[in-house]
Amino acid sequence: MSNFLLAWIVLIPLLSSAALGLMYLFSIKIVKIPNIVFTLIGVSAPFASFWIATTFFLQMIGNSEIFLYKAYRWLGVDGYDIDMGFMADKLSIFMVLFITFVGGLIHLYASGYMKNDDGYGKFFFYFNLFIASMLLLVLADSPIIMFIGWEGVGVCSYFLISYYYEDEKNVQAGNKAFIANRVGDLGFIIAMITMFYYAGANGFDYINLEASMASVPPDVLTFIGLALFVGAIGKSAQIPLFVWLPDAMAGPTPVSALIHAATMVTAGVYMVARFHFLYDLIPDVGLIIAYVGAFSALFAAVIATKQTDIKKILAYSTMSQLGYMFIAVGLGGYSVGIFHVFTHAFFKALLFMGAGAVIVALHHEQNIFKMGGMKNKTPLVYFTMLIATLAIAGIPPFAGFFSKDEILLTAFGSGEYLIWIMGVVTAVLTAYYMFRLLFVVFHGSNYKEERKLHALNKSITMPLVILAMGSMFAGLIGVPELLGGHNLIGIWLSDWRNSSLHVAHDTEFILMAVNILAAIVGISIAYKKFFKYDMKIVPQYEGMIWNKFYIDEIYDRFIVQKIKKISIFISYKVDVNIIDMVVMGLSRSFIRGGHFISKLQNANTRFYAFTMLIGISVISTYLIMVMR
Amino acid sequence: MDFGILSVIIFLPMFVALLMLILPIGAKGTRNIAFLTSIIIFILVSLVYYNFELSGYMQFREHHTWITTYGIYYSLGIDGFSLIILMLIATLIPSAYLWLWDGRTKGYWISMMLIQTGITGTLFAQDLILFYFFWEAMLLPVFMIIGMFGTGNRVFSTIKITVYTIMGSLLMLISILYLGVAFFNNYGFWSFALNDIVQITNLTRTEEIWLFAGFMIAFAIKIPLFPFHTWLLETYSNSPTGGVFLLSSIMAKLGVYGIVRFVMPIFPELYKEFAPFFVWIGIFGLIYFGIAALMQINIKKMFAYSSASHLGFIVTGIFSLNVYGMTGAAFLIIAHAMATGGLFLLVGKMEYSLGIKAIPALGGIAKKAPIFTVFFAIMLLCIVGLPGTSGFVSEFLIILGAFGFSPSAGIVSAFTVLVAASFMFWMFQKAILSDSGNDVSQMKDLNFKEIVGMLPLAFLIIAMGIYPDWFFYKIEPTIQHYLIDILEIRNY
Repeated sequence: MSNFLLAWIVLIPLLSSAALGLMYLFSIKIVKIPNIVFTLIGVSAPFASFWIATTFFLQMIGNSEIFLYKAYRWLGVDGYDIDMGFMADKLSIFMVLFITFVGGLIHLYASGYMKNDDGYGKFFFYFNLFIASMLLLVLADSPIIMFIGWEGVGVCSYFLISYYYEDEKNVQAGNKAFIANRVGDLGFIIAMITMFYYAGANGFDYINLEASMASVPPDVLTFIGLALFVGAIGKSAQIPLFVWLPDAMAGPTPVSALIHAATMVTAGVYMVARFHFLYDLIPDVGLIIAYVGAFSALFAAVIATKQTDIKKILAYSTMSQLGYMFIAVGLGGYSVGIFHVFTHAFFKALLFMGAGAVIVALHHEQNIFKMGGMKNKTPLVYFTMLIATLAIAGIPPFAGFFSKDEILLTAFGSGEYLIWIMGVVTAVLTAYYMFRLLFVVFHGSNYKEERKLHALNKSITMPLVILAMGSMFAGLIGVPELLGGHNLIGIWLSDWRNSSLHVAHDTEFILMAVNILAAIVGISIAYKKFFKYDMKIVPQYEGMIWNKFYIDEIYDRFIVQKIKKISIFISYKVDVNIIDMVVMGLSRSFIRGGHFISKLQNANTRFYAFTMLIGISVISTYLIMVMR
Repeated sequence: MDFGILSVIIFLPMFVALLMLILPIGAKGTRNIAFLTSIIIFILVSLVYYNFELSGYMQFREHHTWITTYGIYYSLGIDGFSLIILMLIATLIPSAYLWLWDGRTKGYWISMMLIQTGITGTLFAQDLILFYFFWEAMLLPVFMIIGMFGTGNRVFSTIKITVYTIMGSLLMLISILYLGVAFFNNYGFWSFALNDIVQITNLTRTEEIWLFAGFMIAFAIKIPLFPFHTWLLETYSNSPTGGVFLLSSIMAKLGVYGIVRFVMPIFPELYKEFAPFFVWIGIFGLIYFGIAALMQINIKKMFAYSSASHLGFIVTGIFSLNVYGMTGAAFLIIAHAMATGGLFLLVGKMEYSLGIKAIPALGGIAKKAPIFTVFFAIMLLCIVGLPGTSGFVSEFLIILGAFGFSPSAGIVSAFTVLVAASFMFWMFQKAILSDSGNDVSQMKDLNFKEIVGMLPLAFLIIAMGIYPDWFFYKIEPTIQHYLIDILEIRNY
């Protein structure tokens, strides 16, 4: 068997990143290496992994084979072994396919976007490392190996967000991302360790965990499920740990595309799907997940309607779409959630890349109200962005329609009408704010006439076209039976399907119509307010929504500042004024005592030195004699 | 009499140091010879490591009478736990020498060699008096280094650490003597050998508790455990690089080592009985020092607190009474020594080039010194416990061990993932990455020697994170032996 190739899916980008990192240091210290070398290595790595993954994918068609490969014993304590193991089943290989494909396109795009950057080689070092971590996360065969990838993704995102590190703000954004993620990781670790003690007796890989999960007491299961979900919240930027995501826009645009589209943020959704054997047993926790998702979706969509920074609008839209995914996985529709992850990967990557193209063309302008009229100047970007916007808004037959429709169907079919309503309202808002963006940026009048546009090269435009095709057709793998499709994705991920869902065909039609209607309503409002927008008016926003409901400020005041106060109290009050005072006080009294005693003896220092010398010589001689 | 490789490892540096003291060789010559000595020792230690058998018992024993009248033996030996610390010391010292290469006096190098003798002796001693002898012998040159080559209010720092340490040593000495007398009363002849002392049966519970406390306070000061930590700040801040390097990465660990080597076998029942207390004081220290580190302006003080925070965690591990926690602690000893040692060397260089220790007065280093920054980041990520570094493996195992001890301890100790991250990244941003307009033009990137010195540390940090199993197999039998034979815990 060629199972060892599974490891190479991860190893190729990992080795490539190691090579890039060393070459970059070599390049800045000794001899300059031309960018083309970095490009060739960096961009080819994800595609090479894609190619290997395809071979596995092809072997899996039509059967339910699982490929396992244990590279080495990672840790063996007390007869208990944890292996560096890889597992490709239908879920993980599906994830790998679009992670490497979309990731590869983003690499290609980055080679054009970053081409004048001094740290070009370093950028690809982080990029490859990021992809490698994400692939490890997905292909791991046990939670702990997954955690290695999980945190690897976190730290790479830290370095990428704070890529322009001279500016303090960027690094702060990176710090925020890392800490918020770490809060999530705390949940992950606690869940993992509890799992280890309660379900890990026969082995810590998913297959064994799945087998022993049923014997775990129900309240412990609930605890594990909740703690694990905290990890997902952190990584996938849901309420209340989402604060890092908008700030993460500080990184270069390809970074945003990579973090937001196929990788990182989807890890939380993947995790819940991966642990479906756990969440199947605790539907109550699933319901909490679905509600967190629904609230996050709505909350982010509301904020997005008032933002002016093009990347922040897209950031909130990511959070909102992730909310949809959590609705699905929370209600047991894991395959549906993954389907949305898949379609979202295409249109979100495209949206970010299109936004990046506009930003580059306008010399790093990010305020949509200072753009305008881009339709005629960058027609290709316009058309691709239009496709992506239609896809995210949920207009058939574009990709987002099918997956979103199925999520809302899952919500309705499970009898969670409140979640369904929130989902539909979010759909209206999504269509609204996305078309607001599109109309203002592309249809509005020119903000400034005389601006000379920065030219866009092939490596930027080509990925846009490919992703546009993806955004048009990716949904077709999930066309429901109702419309004469085969729901290929549902069949592929049949182990992850919610089998208890039964909705009458008529109802299904009505729900579909509601979704389309919701999108149209949103688009119409946006059309009325922003089509042919006069760019002389730059709107000034204020209030609750514009300020993101003051969540950042609340966290700062009630958590960060409090901890800082405690810190000062500990290190400057308790340690100095109490503990140290006691110790130094004691020692001073000793010194006083010492003075008193020293008066009693009045010996010659030279005599002391002499006796010491004798002592040392005696000891040394003695030792030498003993050793003989 | 057979050739005792452990004795050679102990006394070679001292012998060379004394020779240097007599011979008219300058600072540079002394340094070269010191470096050569450390390399020879590294080779010897590698031989020991290679020939070490996979068992939990003492190996490479040397046992000779020293002061016959009082049963004091020159008794040496190592087991898996000492072995990895020995390997650590042998790797760290040549690395540190490469970093201290320029601008040190002859006295500095002689002191460093004497310290090396002290620490290896402490590590090998299997007789309580011999241990005490090396323990003190190791500290004297440290005080000299801080007092003579330190910065700031170095005399005050020296006095402070001396007072603390002498306090602890005194309590330990009294306990040792008391045990010796107890043994005499018990068996009718004198012995301070560890193997004999553990046979004592005639102590009352009260006596045992007092003696236990005597040892524990001495070691707690060295580690330091809350509340015996206030010497740490000034000492770390004012010590010269070599001094703080040795203190943080090696001597603090010897405190932990002392607990495992002496307190555990002599007082196994009390060790188990007080385990909850020490597990929780370790976790408390982890969080307390972690929070205290948050607002430190002085980078060395921040690292001092950070160090104390991790050492608290190590103590949690060794008292967790199961194989995960104890191996995790052993692993963290190594991981932390590498990372903290590396960080102090790097910060020492920064202080040496710029004369600055205040975090807000730094910044923009990354641009000036990229290779410096790469190493700094690797060490930092290890401290933070990122998977893929040795820091993660050890923290994960200790959390696992703490959970096995009691689920609540496990859950609280999991907060370690937040503790270091919260201040380390802030520091990294302020001091290294962001350009805050401060003049750092004097900062130079690492030279060849410094890169060579730092590479083993960085390599081990990553190798131990990616393939930890390879580093475990020599120590695991020892931990099993501790648990099964000494603590007599069957179902851990």
